[in-house]
Amino acid sequence: MKSKLFPFLVLLMILFLIGGIVGCTPTDGEDVVPPEEEEEEGVEFDGEIKIAVTGPMTNIQGEMMWWGALMAADEINAAGGVAVGDEMYSVRLIQVETDEIMDPLGAVSAVENVIVSEDPDFLIGGFRTEAVTPYTDLIARDYNKIFIICGAATNELLHGRVDVDYDAWKYLFRVTPIRSTDLVTVTILMLNDVAMAVREELGIAAPKVAILAEALEWNEALVQMAPQIFPTLGLEFVGTFRPSATASDVTTELRGIEATGAHIIYTIMSGPVGIPFGKQWGELEIPACPVGINVEAQKSGYYPATDGFGDYDCTLNTFAQNAAITEHTIPFISKFVDLYGQLPNYNADTYSAVYILKEAVERAGTIDTDSVIAELEVTDYTGAAGRVVFDEAHDVIWGPGYVTAVGIQWQDGELVAAWPLEWKPDAQNAPDLVIGYEGVVPYQIPPHVLEQWRE
Amino acid sequence: MAVIRMAFRYVRNEIFVLPTRVIAVLFVILLILLPLLTQDMYILRILAIAAIFSIYAASWDLLSGFVGQVSFGHALFFGVAAYTTALLNLRLGLSPVITIPLGAFAAVLVGLLVGIPCLRLKGPYLGLATLAFPIMLMGIIFVFPGFFGGELGISGITRLASSRLTEYYIAVVCMLVLCFIMWKITDSKIGIIFHAIREDEIAVRASGINTIKYKLLAFCLSGFFAGLAGGLYTHFLRIAGPSMLAVLMSFQAIIWAIFGGIVTIYGAVVGVFILYPTLEILRATAEYRMLIFALIVLLVLRVMPQGITTFTRDKLERECPRCKVRNTVTRKNCRVCSSDMR
Repeated sequence: MKSKLFPFLVLLMILFLIGGIVGCTPTDGEDVVPPEEEEEEGVEFDGEIKIAVTGPMTNIQGEMMWWGALMAADEINAAGGVAVGDEMYSVRLIQVETDEIMDPLGAVSAVENVIVSEDPDFLIGGFRTEAVTPYTDLIARDYNKIFIICGAATNELLHGRVDVDYDAWKYLFRVTPIRSTDLVTVTILMLNDVAMAVREELGIAAPKVAILAEALEWNEALVQMAPQIFPTLGLEFVGTFRPSATASDVTTELRGIEATGAHIIYTIMSGPVGIPFGKQWGELEIPACPVGINVEAQKSGYYPATDGFGDYDCTLNTFAQNAAITEHTIPFISKFVDLYGQLPNYNADTYSAVYILKEAVERAGTIDTDSVIAELEVTDYTGAAGRVVFDEAHDVIWGPGYVTAVGIQWQDGELVAAWPLEWKPDAQNAPDLVIGYEGVVPYQIPPHVLEQWRE
Repeated sequence: MAVIRMAFRYVRNEIFVLPTRVIAVLFVILLILLPLLTQDMYILRILAIAAIFSIYAASWDLLSGFVGQVSFGHALFFGVAAYTTALLNLRLGLSPVITIPLGAFAAVLVGLLVGIPCLRLKGPYLGLATLAFPIMLMGIIFVFPGFFGGELGISGITRLASSRLTEYYIAVVCMLVLCFIMWKITDSKIGIIFHAIREDEIAVRASGINTIKYKLLAFCLSGFFAGLAGGLYTHFLRIAGPSMLAVLMSFQAIIWAIFGGIVTIYGAVVGVFILYPTLEILRATAEYRMLIFALIVLLVLRVMPQGITTFTRDKLERECPRCKVRNTVTRKNCRVCSSDMR
């Protein structure tokens, strides 16, 4: 019996080895630039503020979290540190590899380990909701420490917790991204802009929209809800297509979309399927404009990965290289690209989280948890992604004058911001209120789509 | 006084005579006294989880090692109990004392449901069929996210006990008691039939034994113990999530049990208590973690193909060729029949 089982074990081990090797490979296929650990020279501090950064550090999401926080910590330390009362404290970051994509429940142990061994003053990060849910429980309820979420968008991490049982959950905040329902709102606004372009340039009064959503549970509510929203925007819904999140071929789905006569493809994809989609959509010259969420298209490697066929794909993002959401956006992105060789994604706004903590500590004059929470609650911080103010659930407020997110489009191989250009958030009551960021360019309909529908 | 004398004699004649038994007793004493040495919350967490996973891995050994019903989907029992426990606790407000056994009974029912269609399958076919069930259940969880919590899982569950120390002792005592029960089962008349089914099922049937009944019993028993582990884990972690049904969860039980030494029960415990903390320590190696882990397991099994406990036992002890009683390797004559051991 034992000898019969040994081949099975060898097979399992080979699978583990493959998994390990895959895990060693940077997810976007680019070399990982090691973070620059700078020694503080000639600066003496009275103490240190320890911030633990928790995330899947071997994946791009965790790397972005770490790099964003590291950049902020280096800047703060170089500028003299954090004023805590009459003393100056340095910021020390502690990297916590939670491996939460592979082992979400094991992540709790990693977080508890750092709390017990390092006793950080604050924690930031968190990517996968199934991991963040139990470890926020541990951080808030067992250790009463402040945790700023910088990666997981799920509403329920804060709403239904902080606003319902404040004393138990007051330790949790979220800086990035905006919560999932607001992400949906932004994609619908982007869709509306694309629909207007289709109407104006193609002369189609009621553009047809097909949904292309990866077959994962997180987007299920959106897939169900979107067809009901389309008619309110003057759009005709023609069908839903659900490839696997890891599909390497979406030809069938794209040909199906083409057959429906769709003018727009509303994409909802977070997985690697985003790359074959972009490549095949361009290769097959599918006459429909993609817009929505394609996480792969947020990365600087998307254009070469699709051999340029992904040009004109349009997706939601937190930053865009050319869009000055605030005065801090362009300098932040430029410095980030200089240091780490990649465009920052939404996880990199750990940068703002570190600065928000710094300001709260300085206002409080102490690192005492309750005092810092009181100051975090009155945060009004303008960072690279917009103005961060927390609502009653300690969630970053989305909307005009706050954090809005941006729509980005690949135009001739460049990633540019295409939303908001002239967004009127309340056209009826405040027709003069128009939101648009410097550097945002008009959305462009893909040339092959223009040609085919004009014919 | 007579009782103490008897106990002392038992310890001297039954435990001190064999090094592996001394190691086992020292391990139990260490686990019980560990909080006197450290109350580090992280160490207690890791050891409590290791204790819970030991029950889970031993339950796989009971089904696959002893009865030969190789299951590649053991996470099914663990996950069913976890979700049942979580739902009963959250929706009905039942305490862990009730939810954990009820979760285990739900796993027993699932054991029956899985066992019946799988009875005619053997070897890799049985393995693949069992692999399908947790994947199917995960699909159901995603189809009804409102009820099962979908990708987020079910959180907000009552904790196992008010303090980590109490949780640790609950986990350790449960592990010791449940693994002892499993070991006694395998050492009983039922255990002999389990062994016989694994070695030659046709011969057992020819002897007039209803092997279907015993194989179903094995599925139910294994499901029950894995279910208890699932319930304990859910209350310890305060969440039941879809990753509890993942393929990795099933494979982990196999790796732990085979690494420790299958067809032993205690081998699974040793496997978990070595490999689970090792995987935690390897977090420091970031992206090389799983790679190093896999290499360690492969190298150890290359040297000790029958598992670490069997290898150690065979190095320290020898079986008497005449009466089959185990003796320490240094003995020249059997401690029972005095036969020459050389």
